[in-house]
Amino acid sequence: MVANFGDDKPAGSSMIEQLVADVTCYALCDLDYSSLCQLSMTSSSMRKAANDDKLWKSLYHKEFTDQEHLLNLNPVNGWKAYYAATKTVMNLNYEFFYIIGSRSLNRMNSLWLNSDYVKCFNASGELFSGYDAVMGRWEFCFNNWEFGFDLEARDVQLRIMNNLAWVTTFAIDGIIGSPFHVTNVFELHNGHWLMVHHHSSLIPNHVAANH
Amino acid sequence: MSSNMIMLKSSDGASFEIEEAAARKSKIIANMIEVECVDEDKAIPLQNVTGNILALVIEYCNKHIVDDDDDVATEEASEEEEEAKKKKVDDWEAEFMNSMSLETMFELLLAANYLNIKSLIDLVCQTIANNIKDKTPEEVRKIFSIENDFTPEEEEEIRKENAWAFG
Repeated sequence: MVANFGDDKPAGSSMIEQLVADVTCYALCDLDYSSLCQLSMTSSSMRKAANDDKLWKSLYHKEFTDQEHLLNLNPVNGWKAYYAATKTVMNLNYEFFYIIGSRSLNRMNSLWLNSDYVKCFNASGELFSGYDAVMGRWEFCFNNWEFGFDLEARDVQLRIMNNLAWVTTFAIDGIIGSPFHVTNVFELHNGHWLMVHHHSSLIPNHVAANH
Repeated sequence: MSSNMIMLKSSDGASFEIEEAAARKSKIIANMIEVECVDEDKAIPLQNVTGNILALVIEYCNKHIVDDDDDVATEEASEEEEEAKKKKVDDWEAEFMNSMSLETMFELLLAANYLNIKSLIDLVCQTIANNIKDKTPEEVRKIFSIENDFTPEEEEEIRKENAWAFG
């Protein structure tokens, strides 16, 4: 790593913009995602530096340690876009469990894609198909559950391909202790990730004992 | 000049005497010493480092060579002593970085990089990162004198590209 004032690109005139890429990358490698995003919005040369694929790849692996199976992934739109999608879907997935706990129908309404093809399989084994039926079911559940579910999502595995993301989770209830296998599927519509599928299965006691 | 002192000469002709142990913080100088291309009575010319920056580099190296000696002497030191010593070094480094302008800081980074002094590169990079962390684009532009060269179309593009981070 030898520093020079770079002259291979029409960089801005400030000193930070004139550092060679290796040094800049080194200086930025401990920054969090939002600081990097803010930095990328200052000028074209800082955008190039702060959007560096290596930076975002390392940030991704530092934060999403459960996603070891994706180590050899080579995202088509680069690591920043993949990190952004992962972060967004992860947060929506946590939002889903939060909604279950707080029984907020409004938030459940806006979490889902309003479409005929969305589907929801409850742990009861029943299938609800289409936005209205699915929302009707959640409303019924929220009104009739005798106790709230305080679900903790563990072993969250997430896979994203273009406009589709699917998440598998092992969820355990903090109050009654029943464990579930949960699969949530999201689709990207006009820049927004929305839930299109939820499948939940109660894990039988003799299987749960092995978890 | 005593046998364990060497001379460094800056690009603008200033000469500095420094303990060999301190100079060895620089991998480049350490290599020069290893291959014996350092003449007893001749200064090592450093063409990419000016005198005012070299003075800072030497100040840093001298400070850290003392710390390294301490390490050997107090191997059995208690955890509290270790912590107290680390805090002393951290305080010194914070004060050291605080005492210079941003422009000097960047020149120091270039010098540390050229001389290959890893811990000094780390220190300056960390200070630069601290100046970026949690700052809005406007604040970062102001601190580093960065000019906004985005076209309106690019402004819209970067807004979309980063909207997820501030949702």
